[in-house]
Amino acid sequence: MTDGASTPGWLLAGAEDAPPLLCSGKRRRGGAIEKTVGGLARLIREALVSEEIAARRGLLQRLDARVKLIGMLGLLIATGLVRHIPVLLGLYALTLVLAAASRIGLGWFAKRVWFFIPLFSGVIVAPAMFSFITPGEVVLPLGHWFGHEVGLTRQGLTSAALIVCRVASSISLVLLLTLTTSWSRLLASLRTLFVPRLLVLVLGMAYRYLFVLLDSVTEMVTARRARTVAAKRSRRGERAIASFSGGALFGKAHALSEEVHQAMLARGFSGELRMSEWPRIRAIDVISVLTCLALAILVVGGDRALGL
Amino acid sequence: MRSGSESLLIGEGLSYAYLERFPALEKVSLEVSRGERLALLGANGCGKSTLLKILAGLIFPDHGSYRAFGEEVSAERLEDEQFSAAFRTRVGFVFQNTDAQVFSPTVREEIAFGPLQLGLAPAEIEGRVAEVTQMLEIGDLIERAPYQLSAGQKKRVAIASVLVMSPELLLFDEPTAGLDPRSRGWLLELIDELGRAGKTIVFATHELAELEWIADRCLVLSEDHRPLAEGAPAELLADRELLLRANLIHEHAHRHGAVLHSHPHERGHHGRAG
Repeated sequence: MTDGASTPGWLLAGAEDAPPLLCSGKRRRGGAIEKTVGGLARLIREALVSEEIAARRGLLQRLDARVKLIGMLGLLIATGLVRHIPVLLGLYALTLVLAAASRIGLGWFAKRVWFFIPLFSGVIVAPAMFSFITPGEVVLPLGHWFGHEVGLTRQGLTSAALIVCRVASSISLVLLLTLTTSWSRLLASLRTLFVPRLLVLVLGMAYRYLFVLLDSVTEMVTARRARTVAAKRSRRGERAIASFSGGALFGKAHALSEEVHQAMLARGFSGELRMSEWPRIRAIDVISVLTCLALAILVVGGDRALGL
Repeated sequence: MRSGSESLLIGEGLSYAYLERFPALEKVSLEVSRGERLALLGANGCGKSTLLKILAGLIFPDHGSYRAFGEEVSAERLEDEQFSAAFRTRVGFVFQNTDAQVFSPTVREEIAFGPLQLGLAPAEIEGRVAEVTQMLEIGDLIERAPYQLSAGQKKRVAIASVLVMSPELLLFDEPTAGLDPRSRGWLLELIDELGRAGKTIVFATHELAELEWIADRCLVLSEDHRPLAEGAPAELLADRELLLRANLIHEHAHRHGAVLHSHPHERGHHGRAG
C-alpha cells in the first residue's frame, strides 16, 4: 500500500466469523432474474444454430436471399387464402420436403413449428371448437346448458383444424426462410421490398448490438448473483436493483451509440449511406422465384376449384 | 523522427472539457511529422483518447487550433463533402473499444463500409477487402458475425476496416489493451511494419514495455490533462521522477529477507525504469 494507506483490521482477519460451509437442506429457488439469464443464453445459442444452418450446403441456402423472400411471401399469401385442409396439408408437406432438401433435421424443424402453434392459435382455436361459439352438429357432447346440448361441433373442429394447418404451414415457411438465410442477407434483402437503406442499416446494427447488450446484462446479473449472500429476499431491494441495472444499461447503450456514431464518421459516413451492390441474379434464382409464384397461383386456383 | 521534417499535424493550445464541465485536455500543443511514430503516454483519464479524437476530427477543441495536412480542421470544414471525404480517406482511427468500431452484421460488410462511403468502385472494394483480409489473416472469418469473434479477432477486423482505406495517418487508442500475448505481439509487429512502410502513426498507451520498439517520440500527459514532457522513448524511460509524476510507474515495496525496500515498478518490466 502506498501513501500511508493502511488495510483495516477486519480485512486482515480470517474467515472465523463466516457461516459454516455446510448444507442446511433449505433450498432457494432460482428467481426471475436467473431465468432471464438462462433465456438470454438460449437466445444466443439459437442465433448460433440459425447461422450454422444458413451456412450448410442445402437447396434453399444456395438461392439468393431476395428470391427466397419474394418466393416465400408469395407462398405465404397463398397459404392465407387457402380454405381446404387437404391443400394446406399439401403445403405443409412441401415445407417438410424443402426442409429436408435444405439439410434441416425434420424432427427438430417440426418441433420448432409445433411449439409455436399453441402460442399463436391456441387462444383463437380453443373456444371456436365449442357449440356456443360455432353452432352445428355436436360430435363430442360435454353436457347440457339451459336445455341445449353443449360440446365440440364438427364445424368448430373443422375451422380449428383449418386455422392450425394454416398457422403450421405459415410458420414453417417463415422458419425455412429465416433458417436458411443469414440474418445480414435477410435484412439486406428487405431493400428489394423498398425498405429504406438507412432503416436496413439500423435494423442490422440493432441486431448486432443486441448481443453486446445481452453480454452486459448477463455480466451484471452474474455479478449481482456472485455478491448475493442474504437468505431472505427483499422485493423492494430487488426492484431497486432492477431499476439501477436498467439505468446503468441505458447509460452504457447511450455511450456505446455515441462511439459507434464516431466510428462511422471516422470511416467516411456523412449521413448518406452507401451500401454494397447485390450479386447478380442467376438463372436458378429466376427459375426458383417463378416456380414459387406459379405454385402459389396454382395452390389458390386449385383451392378455389374445390369449392367452398 | 523517421523521415523529412514536414509537419503533418499541428495542434496548438488544445483544450477540451466534456459537457463543458469536466476538463479532459488543458492547453496541449503537439506537432507530428510525416512518417513519424508518436506515442501519447499518460495514466488513465489523462486525456489521451480525447486528444486522439480531436486529431481524428471526431470532436473539436473548445480552445486552440488544429491543422492537418496543411489545412485547418474544424466542425464547419468537415461539413464540406469534399473536405470531409479527403480528410477521412487520409486519417484512420482504431478505437480502443472494438465493439463500438465493428458495427456491421458481418466481417465482410464491416471492412467494405469505409471504401463504400468514400465511393470506390465495387471491383476495387472487392479487391481491397480480399487483400487486407489476407494480409491480416482473417480470410476465414469473412462471413462471420462480430459476436462470433474473439477479442483478438475483433481487433484484427477493426484494423482491417481502417487499413482498407489506406490512410496516411493511423491513430490507435490503447491498441494492445485486453489482448493476449500472441495477439499483442502480432499487433506491435504490424504497427512497426506500417511505420516502416511510411505511415504516420499516433497511438495512446500507458504500457512502457514496447515503447522503444514502436515509437520514435513520446508526449507525456499529466493527470491534470496538461503536457508534462516530450522526447525520445529511451530518454523518457530513464527519467524515473517524470514517470512517477505521470503515474506511469509506482513505488513498489517488497522484502528481501528482513529488509524492506522500495523501487519503481512498471508493467511488463520489473524495475527496468529504475
